Amino acid sequence: MLSGSDTVYVLRYFDVIGRAEGCRLLLTAANASWTEEHPEWPAEKANQPFERLPVLVERSNGNEWILCESLTIERYLARVFGFMPTDLKQAALQEQMADQQADLLSAFFAQLTATGDMKSKQIDEFNTLFDRMVKEHGRILSRSSSKQHLFGDQLSYADISLYAFYKLFIVYLKCYQSDIAEIVKSKLTPEIINLILSIEKEPQLAPHFSKCDTMAAIFTAKDF
Amino acid sequence: MSSSNASYTLRYFDAIGLAESSRILLTAAGVEWTEEHPEWPQEKPNQPHGRLPVLVEKSTDGSPDFVICESSNVERYIARTYGFLPADLKQAALQEQLRDLISDVISLFFTQIQCKGEEDKAEFQTKFDGLLETLINVQTKLLKDNGNTGRLFGDKLSYADIITYGLYINLLIGFVKFNADIADSVKSKLTPEIVKLISAVETDPLVEKHKSRGGSLVAAISA
Repeated sequence: MLSGSDTVYVLRYFDVIGRAEGCRLLLTAANASWTEEHPEWPAEKANQPFERLPVLVERSNGNEWILCESLTIERYLARVFGFMPTDLKQAALQEQMADQQADLLSAFFAQLTATGDMKSKQIDEFNTLFDRMVKEHGRILSRSSSKQHLFGDQLSYADISLYAFYKLFIVYLKCYQSDIAEIVKSKLTPEIINLILSIEKEPQLAPHFSKCDTMAAIFTAKDF
Repeated sequence: MSSSNASYTLRYFDAIGLAESSRILLTAAGVEWTEEHPEWPQEKPNQPHGRLPVLVEKSTDGSPDFVICESSNVERYIARTYGFLPADLKQAALQEQLRDLISDVISLFFTQIQCKGEEDKAEFQTKFDGLLETLINVQTKLLKDNGNTGRLFGDKLSYADIITYGLYINLLIGFVKFNADIADSVKSKLTPEIVKLISAVETDPLVEKHKSRGGSLVAAISA
């Protein structure tokens, strides 16, 4: 671990799953000292470096250091706490999964807000991208010796990022589109569902589920 | 740090787009590299995520080539391998966050041009303008705090400098084919500090060999 034992973190975000779940899971899995702040919004907008959330505040030895942008925060925490491989090639293979997932989130909002003849085009694009991504997840999983992790035999950044992504689509985004959870669930293979549920059972993540539900109940026996 | 027998293929369209920063990074790294323009969409299924750019690092020992994708991931990999991103995690993260902000600016640009109704177009134009203003303010403050040398961090050409150049060459040249008004609009918002960065990148000895298919961004700004 590269952070001192007296380092504390504050994650500033809205009180929703949104784009911060990966950060929350990483801080939890790392057993870091951390708290969450929900700034008054938009009152606190001008006080954030990029006028956006999430923001990570790291306090250590009386110093304060601030980082923005959800994916950069995730990659930073993953590296500090040893969830990202130090080998650059192995790291890039994990990072590209997170980038692909970010594209999917953009495609979701694009099809949500599209109108007219763009709507069906954007829906097709979203479905194509999602199906391709699920296939890629399956391909990586098939090459992993442990079907409970994407790479190697320990919880990695890729596992945490994948879990946060599926949680976003299955638990959160229904507030924007009521049928998205069912649409996404229907695309998942038993292997991917097994991976999601295995990640959830990681002891390092246990404290996370004292604050929210697991997805186990969502995937009923008939999904397998 | 540079591996003298490494060679790369960068697959993209024959356009500036999301490959330009990677082109500049590969050139600045001084490594052997070539570009491929795959038949499209025929070659889509043959790419890891069905999209471009893709970077192939050619294997020298008979093992499979190393292949990665996603434009910002490709950029970070080249930058880390060849020292354009610092090894210090905090210093690297401060540079990476700029690229994530740039991704969102580009995303808003493409969302706006795809809007059909006038109301939607106006809404996303406002969002694009607002986020670009935030980005310009952040970049300008960093440049000023670093002594207005045309460098965002430190005193050498960095990943942050290159991906910043990569954004503006699109907003001022590459994206004009999608939106004819964008170049003049963005040009009017550039601060002197950013103009200096653009010149510093384009004239850097490490970047000299890079000839953009869009021509000189410095010339486009002074035109």
